[in-house]
Amino acid sequence: MKKKTFFAFVGPSVLVMLSLIAVPLLGVFYLSLHTSHVKTEIVEVKSVVPLFGGLTKTTVQKVPQPVLDEKGQPVKVWEFVGGRNFDTVADPGGLAKALSKDRSQTADGQPARLGQKLHGLYRDVTDIDFWGALEFTLMYAFFTTPCILVIGFVLAIAVNSLVQWARGPIIFASLLPHIITPVVGSLSIYWLFLDNAVVAALLEQLGAGKIYFLKDAVTIRALIILYGIWHVTPFAFVILYAGLQTVPKDALQAAEVDGASRWQRIRYIVIPHLGALFSFITLIHLMDAYRIFEPVLVFGSNLFANSLQYLTYYILHFEDNYAKAGASAILTVIGIIILLSPFLYRTFRDQKGGH
Amino acid sequence: MKGILAMTLAAVLFLAPAMVGAASGVQGSGEVNVITNSFPSLEVICAEMDKLNRDGLKVETKLSREAEQEIKQATAAAKCPYDLVQGANSSIAPLQAGGHIQPMNDLVEKYRDKYNIEEGMLIRFGDDIMAIAFQVNAQHLFYRKDLFDKHNLAVPTTWDEVLAVAEKLKGEESIQFPLGGTFKSGWNIAQEFVNMYLGMGGEFFKPGTAEPAFNSEAGVKTLEMMKKLMAYMSPNALSLDTTAVMQQFQQGQIAMANLWASRAAKMDDAAESKVVGLIEFAVAPSAVKGGPPATTLWWDGFFLPTTMDGDRDLAFQVMMEGLKEEVVKANNDEAIWLRSVYQPSRFSKGAAASAMAGAPSYPMKPQFTMVHAAIGANIGDFMAGKESAEKSLADAEAAYITAAKEKGYIQ
Repeated sequence: MKKKTFFAFVGPSVLVMLSLIAVPLLGVFYLSLHTSHVKTEIVEVKSVVPLFGGLTKTTVQKVPQPVLDEKGQPVKVWEFVGGRNFDTVADPGGLAKALSKDRSQTADGQPARLGQKLHGLYRDVTDIDFWGALEFTLMYAFFTTPCILVIGFVLAIAVNSLVQWARGPIIFASLLPHIITPVVGSLSIYWLFLDNAVVAALLEQLGAGKIYFLKDAVTIRALIILYGIWHVTPFAFVILYAGLQTVPKDALQAAEVDGASRWQRIRYIVIPHLGALFSFITLIHLMDAYRIFEPVLVFGSNLFANSLQYLTYYILHFEDNYAKAGASAILTVIGIIILLSPFLYRTFRDQKGGH
Repeated sequence: MKGILAMTLAAVLFLAPAMVGAASGVQGSGEVNVITNSFPSLEVICAEMDKLNRDGLKVETKLSREAEQEIKQATAAAKCPYDLVQGANSSIAPLQAGGHIQPMNDLVEKYRDKYNIEEGMLIRFGDDIMAIAFQVNAQHLFYRKDLFDKHNLAVPTTWDEVLAVAEKLKGEESIQFPLGGTFKSGWNIAQEFVNMYLGMGGEFFKPGTAEPAFNSEAGVKTLEMMKKLMAYMSPNALSLDTTAVMQQFQQGQIAMANLWASRAAKMDDAAESKVVGLIEFAVAPSAVKGGPPATTLWWDGFFLPTTMDGDRDLAFQVMMEGLKEEVVKANNDEAIWLRSVYQPSRFSKGAAASAMAGAPSYPMKPQFTMVHAAIGANIGDFMAGKESAEKSLADAEAAYITAAKEKGYIQ
């Protein structure tokens, strides 16, 4: 291909990627190196608020109030702070302290067993917001990915062996979980598992006793992971099902003639043929999983299961600090790049080697 | 027949806005963009504002659960896309401290008579009127009158008495748990902490500063009381929010809770509730005997953004049309309205009694949202038994200090 033709083809995509991905990302990075707020001073303020039935209450208290410039506008502070936002978000100092803490003795002076030491270490590390969020984010990514691949593949094989007329409705029905808005899906799961909600009541009638699903980390995390599998499996299914349509029929027939069992045909022909699709789904899902947000928000965020995306939202919403939220977002991007680097490397190698 | 009906209906719908427009008293022309949270009384108010649309006057209302976040961003912009924004005592303080909302004393004077603007609706910072409030809300005691009668129990007035009553109701078979509570980790449980801590006489800040003081003995006592209460609640308590607790009541699962007054009318909603007429409302219990009720009073109101690009006089008139006496009269039970034409009902009894007994207002300080968030993010670890009360308060304190320093509230 001529260089000119090549650039004519590639140019528009590069331009779009630069303007929609690179530029905003650089903007967020720039923000994350700064701090911004209105300058305040503590002033005595008398405030009057209504109570009830026409009564009011007057309070005199010392509260931060904006410092005004000569035009009466609040003075804004905008400072370069370097890596400070990154430092407060990731708290490497706190991590180092947790890692280097002396754990040779338990609280009552007994020599600690290995299990106790590890438990103490785990508690201290995950007590730091960022590392606690990272823990569940990774757990979610690593638990859901193999499940959606396997279940998606089994579904695809099953649907592919159905009679033609039944496929359409079944594909449509199995896509539904993926179409549902994540926050609605999460809420439905939350409602299903409340005190006397459908699932809890059903299990009780079946003699499983009263189970409280929302009372500790284990069950809440399991529910979030189940939600993830339920929500994303259709995506894997539909891609693999499309892939199945491209499996060469003659190879399968030849294998059948040679006496290969159904399992052998799947193992030695279908799965290798779909290899690239498996990596593609893994890649996309890891990226999505790393940004898990809605179920964490719905299921009592941050106590039983936290995520990096929720942490960014928390900083933006409750601390009202978009510069620091920017640092948190950049850390998420870096995390995704690290997580995906083995796959990206493999793709790069394959591309270089092939064609 | 059907065709004629449809035609008449269409004609009415077509003419109605014009008729209302002519009758409305909004002077002037232009565009007014309004953003509010989404709950029943605001739906009523916004519907009223929407009726003002006529030639030369365009009123657009947006109701959103994420309004608070959007308002924070919009009012900080060089040109705010909204001319009228709604908020509460938690959200007004950071907006006021950032200079993002403007005083409206002149407009209040101009329209005081026309709209009968009452003194009890005005939110003042110093001499500046920064908001017009329309309703109040507070958490207070909801209890099952029938079960209290059956077991011959007196209505508890302190949280210690609540514990004693809960113990007696433990054996009651028609319910599952004696107590409910909005203990969901995060905002809800922090709100419960604020209620109880102020009731204990606790101070959130060192005098005259924004430095935290809630990592204190009163803080530990507050957490310990909350944990004692949790023992009488559903094991899921740390995942249950206001709506979930409301449903526990409606399904007859619990006998008592400190719940929002805005949910009181829902107890008698026959479509949802199995306990119509069985719930009574009382003053929020005190944390210490003889002390104020351990709850905080909230109000909701409207503000004018500093950087609005519309006409402030017009925006003010639109606001007052939405808050006029007729609206309150026609929708009496939708909220505890602040206007004196409001007729208190049995649903407002608990909130009124709490206000009369001296319940404090929710702290109106700009740094308080950060305190609330830091507490909500950290005390769950204690409630779930993962760490000590002291440790979780120290974590909350450290989180607040970091956040407040970054926003310049403490040095």
